[in-house]
Amino acid sequence: MPPIINKDKCTRCGICVKVCPQDVFFGSKEKAVPIVSYPEECWHCNACGLDCPEEAISLRVPLPQMLLYR
Amino acid sequence: MREETIETDVLCVGGGIAGLMAAIRASELGARVVVAEKGNTVRSGGGATGNDHFLCYIPEIHGSDIDPIIEEARRAVAGGAKRPESFIRAWLEKSFDIVRLWDNWGIPMTYGGQYEFAGHGFPGRPLIWLKYAGQKQKPILTKQTHKTGATIMNRVMIFDLFSAGDTLGALGIDTREDKYYEFYAKSVILATGGCVRLYQGPTPAWMFNLSDPPHTTGDGRAMAYRAGAALIDMEIPIRWAGPKYFARCGKATWVGVLRDQRDLPVGPFVTKPEKKYGDIAADIYTNMFEDYALSGRGPIYMDCRGISQEDYEYMMHWLEQEGNTALLNHMKSEGIDVRKNPVEFSTYEVRPIGGVYYNEKGETTLKGLYAAGDEIVGNISLAATFGWIAGENAAAYSKTLEGLAGERKLDTAMQEKMELVEKIRGRNEGPDWKEVNIVLQQIMDDYAGPVRSETLSKAGLTYLQRLKEKAVETMNASNQHELMHCAEVLNLIELGELILFAAMERRESRGEHKRPDYPFTNPLLDGKTMFIEKGDHQPIVQWKTLG
Repeated sequence: MPPIINKDKCTRCGICVKVCPQDVFFGSKEKAVPIVSYPEECWHCNACGLDCPEEAISLRVPLPQMLLYR
Repeated sequence: MREETIETDVLCVGGGIAGLMAAIRASELGARVVVAEKGNTVRSGGGATGNDHFLCYIPEIHGSDIDPIIEEARRAVAGGAKRPESFIRAWLEKSFDIVRLWDNWGIPMTYGGQYEFAGHGFPGRPLIWLKYAGQKQKPILTKQTHKTGATIMNRVMIFDLFSAGDTLGALGIDTREDKYYEFYAKSVILATGGCVRLYQGPTPAWMFNLSDPPHTTGDGRAMAYRAGAALIDMEIPIRWAGPKYFARCGKATWVGVLRDQRDLPVGPFVTKPEKKYGDIAADIYTNMFEDYALSGRGPIYMDCRGISQEDYEYMMHWLEQEGNTALLNHMKSEGIDVRKNPVEFSTYEVRPIGGVYYNEKGETTLKGLYAAGDEIVGNISLAATFGWIAGENAAAYSKTLEGLAGERKLDTAMQEKMELVEKIRGRNEGPDWKEVNIVLQQIMDDYAGPVRSETLSKAGLTYLQRLKEKAVETMNASNQHELMHCAEVLNLIELGELILFAAMERRESRGEHKRPDYPFTNPLLDGKTMFIEKGDHQPIVQWKTLG
């Protein structure tokens, strides 16, 4: 479920927790790998991914949102 | 319960593009300014992770006559529609100043050293959308706000407004800690953004998949109404369109042709991908996707096949700046290549085009209360410009008041509001905010959706009243984050009631407001706008001519 944090790359800086407009990381502790408390509230704005200095965050787009194409 | 009281000259409710621009301007004019933002101003609101088109008038590009550009802006659905000429003129006259300001602050407003206009374009007519690289606009505006000395309070949701003598008060919830706020300000600028989560989105089981940010829940509209300011155009629906199931604004950034299953263009404007125009068919007829499907002619695709490599790179660059990186990453991981794969588009959910009435000075109908940006559906340029203008006028108004008059004591209604919030937070069982929001969306879709009528409105109002009572009596929040959602959904119910009421009062069909019980468009209402204000027993409706 979005977002996915690569624990090996994460330096626990907390930027993603700070900026997420939806606060999907609510309840995360300082200096710890963030927890994703409200994954279903992610808007896929990718603020966390854009602002992570370690490129440790990727979004998994949920299946209900998959693009249709031919 | 921890409480804090904060006094200031100008309170900006919301720290999106409009709120920050208002804060910067009011602060540099010497006012004490506080911005209260539900999220974090670095990445919040409609411009959170970008935008790539800025409606403006640049004399060196458009020529010395502003009038054709005003005319063009009035045709733009997002912003110009339904606004009086004086309002559009004030906006466009200021727009180039804002462009230069933003460029100075580090938001790139040129492309290859030039002003580049493209997208949402009609072939043969002036182009009014300046391409700009907005991905970092919010971090940059946040930095500018700090520079002026304004205070930003992140993770604070203001959920109600009240009069406190000559000044205004506001109630706030900390969205992370168990803490509450009372604000007292000489003037308040509402800049809470759009009004979503009222109607079911394209994936109802995945509620937050909406084309505009799901944290913009019309709080400003609901608060303004309760405080006594007028709302307008709440009964006029608008629907965006874009990639099917992945709800996202930015259709004008796509360089392609909207085609049906047989590859025939569905609009009259372009027959091959043209980066200058995009395909504006979807702007002027957003319901096209749904209508085609319902008539058996669907689906419709955004077809970029035939695009040159240079134009493809151009489009991908701007989609990134528009804030669509998640969409681009999804296409990449799924192997979707728009040069080969047409992508299906669809019409998204209903929303009201209207909101808090504000004039060309940013003034609402309530003294000391200003509004800007998407308090009525607009766009980034409008938010930036009217944020600036509202900030200027709110600062000037604040200077005319000696001090913060009024007693620092909540009246009965506000005390009850605070008690309700505490009760919701204190309950251990009952429905959560989401259950309430789901019912609200069901009712809005069925009773004030694509079809409206007197009988539907009356029934819908009864059901919403019942829902509101249940929510007030039983809804619970297990933490401050959920409490924020509870406050949002109570605001949304209030707006739902106003839409049902206003939809009943507009006894005609007009555009997307379809009333089978009044199938005609009433010429007597041409040019008239419905103002709706709080009354003793029910809303007061007045029809006025704007401008």
